[in-house]
Amino acid sequence: MESLIHIEHIMKIYNPGENEVRALDNVTLDITTGEFVAIIGQSGSGKSTLMNILGCLDVPTSGTYILSGENVSALSDNALSDIRNRKIGFIFQGFNLIPNLSALENVMLPLIYRGVPMKERQAFAQEALKIVGLEHRIHHKPSELSGGQQQRVAIARAIAAKPPIILADEPTGNLDSSSTKEIMNILHELHESGRTVILITHDNQIAANAKRVVKIMDGKIESDTTND
Amino acid sequence: MSQFLEYIKMALFNILSNKVRSLLTMLGIVIGISSVILIMALGNGAKESITEQLSTVGNGQVMILSMGNERITIEDLEYIQTHIEGVQAYLVTSMPDGTITTPKGSFTGYAYGCNENNYLFEQYSTLSNGHYFTKEDYDMGRMVCYLAEDDAIKLFGNTDVIGMPIDIEIHGKILSYTIVGLTSYINESNAISYDYENAPIYLNVPLSTLNQKLGLDAIQIQGYTDATLMLASDIDTQDTCNQIIRILESRHDCLGEDQFMFQSFNDILATINIVINMITLFIALVAAISLFVGGIGVMNIMLVSVTERTREIGIRKALGAKTRSIMLQFLLESGFITMVGGILGILIGLGGAYALSTIISMAMPDYAFTPSISLTVILITTLFSSTVGLFFGIYPARKAAKLSPIEALRRM
Repeated sequence: MESLIHIEHIMKIYNPGENEVRALDNVTLDITTGEFVAIIGQSGSGKSTLMNILGCLDVPTSGTYILSGENVSALSDNALSDIRNRKIGFIFQGFNLIPNLSALENVMLPLIYRGVPMKERQAFAQEALKIVGLEHRIHHKPSELSGGQQQRVAIARAIAAKPPIILADEPTGNLDSSSTKEIMNILHELHESGRTVILITHDNQIAANAKRVVKIMDGKIESDTTND
Repeated sequence: MSQFLEYIKMALFNILSNKVRSLLTMLGIVIGISSVILIMALGNGAKESITEQLSTVGNGQVMILSMGNERITIEDLEYIQTHIEGVQAYLVTSMPDGTITTPKGSFTGYAYGCNENNYLFEQYSTLSNGHYFTKEDYDMGRMVCYLAEDDAIKLFGNTDVIGMPIDIEIHGKILSYTIVGLTSYINESNAISYDYENAPIYLNVPLSTLNQKLGLDAIQIQGYTDATLMLASDIDTQDTCNQIIRILESRHDCLGEDQFMFQSFNDILATINIVINMITLFIALVAAISLFVGGIGVMNIMLVSVTERTREIGIRKALGAKTRSIMLQFLLESGFITMVGGILGILIGLGGAYALSTIISMAMPDYAFTPSISLTVILITTLFSSTVGLFFGIYPARKAAKLSPIEALRRM
């Protein structure tokens, strides 16, 4: 099967020169459509840098990144915005909802930037909120929701525009165990329904949910194993 | 286009969710615009009112001045009147001032020497009693005079003065006149500059009585440094004045020496307008500074807003907002704030101008005038305020738009 994500010899170097830091050191990785991959590593291992590059939030110092057949390693800022909008749904540790917008309005944001008309936008957003089980909370502000619910709104936002990739960065880092379970179940369901899920975490237990675990250490891939 | 509407909605939403801050930001612009509008409206109104009043007083009047040692004589004036078409009347003021003594006290006064067309100078007055002096009075050098009713009340305490004698002492000579006429103002508002308490009293007398020509016991005046002429309204003022100057120069044997010059009332009016315009402009510039300060206020708040919303910007960018989208959102926000501030400022400025002029007309009816503002000024001010909004919005908007999404998201 053709790779959805193909990165090759990716280097990310901060402070080039004497005190250079190699956040990513010659990383090569392939992720296929429909995979559930956990990228695991300690803080400082380079997993966040990898997630930023995979999410097109950052560009590598050198190397190639082919995202569904398109070379995105050297795109402009604006082109990357577009790629993020169409290809990637982000789920962050801190939820990153906009506080003065309702759940529905938050979920509609990526659709606004894609230029989806109002009616469709609302339909898509409502559908996404239904998937995460929040159809009765659509007019609540983030502050009126629990942490687990906020993260579910964030997931709805990530899937509303139907991107092929879900990129979750420590999605359960700020949640209690029951909410964690809830969120992981939703991620499983998303994977079951055919989405590619990439989960970044430092927690082995969380990573155990994924079919494939890629371990990063000192900017290099240490192991790449498949769970059964 | 629909995208653009979305950004407008976002901007409005953000303004409305920070009501107090938006209002405070707007305040600077409101004050700036309203003071510009207020000052322009009052300044224009005052100018129009002054122009209107002066035009009723001085229309058609031309002043001839001697710039050197030559003096304008009564013979010059008589010659000019008979030889130049359109010169209807002339008037000179006795210098220095004289003293009029009545049972009511001692008053400073001037004698206005005039030819028989003296009534032409009474553009703002009308004869209320008696008559003006005549050509016969002039030719015979009769000691008759007329004066304003208000002056009669000052001098005698009543207006029943026709036929009464009045003495004016000028240059140590006492000239004894008989009052033959009284005038009163047609429109009280034109009396502004004449009704203060120590205003001198003017006696209008035949010019011949001020002059030795007739061998009367008159004051020793050989000539005057200035004279006022009344020209017919259908002639070319400029052309006529040039002719008059040439005649004076040839009569005084000083052709081309620039001994004489003229000043028409319209020139004076133009000068007054220039002065008022300059004052208005100056104050408007001061007000524009407050507008500028208001603009900086907008920039300040927008910068604070960018810092405060760094995270939001990061989220928006991560979700696919382009640099342009963020820029537009912030520019629209500052644009809206200044636009609404501008509209409020125009309304408040106009309202304030009308309120002030109403208060002035109630408190000091003599100074009453209507504020006036042209559409051009309103348009320019609106344009200026939106430019201020855009100009001062650009820097914060750029700052917001250029934020890298990782940087922005990292800030918790």
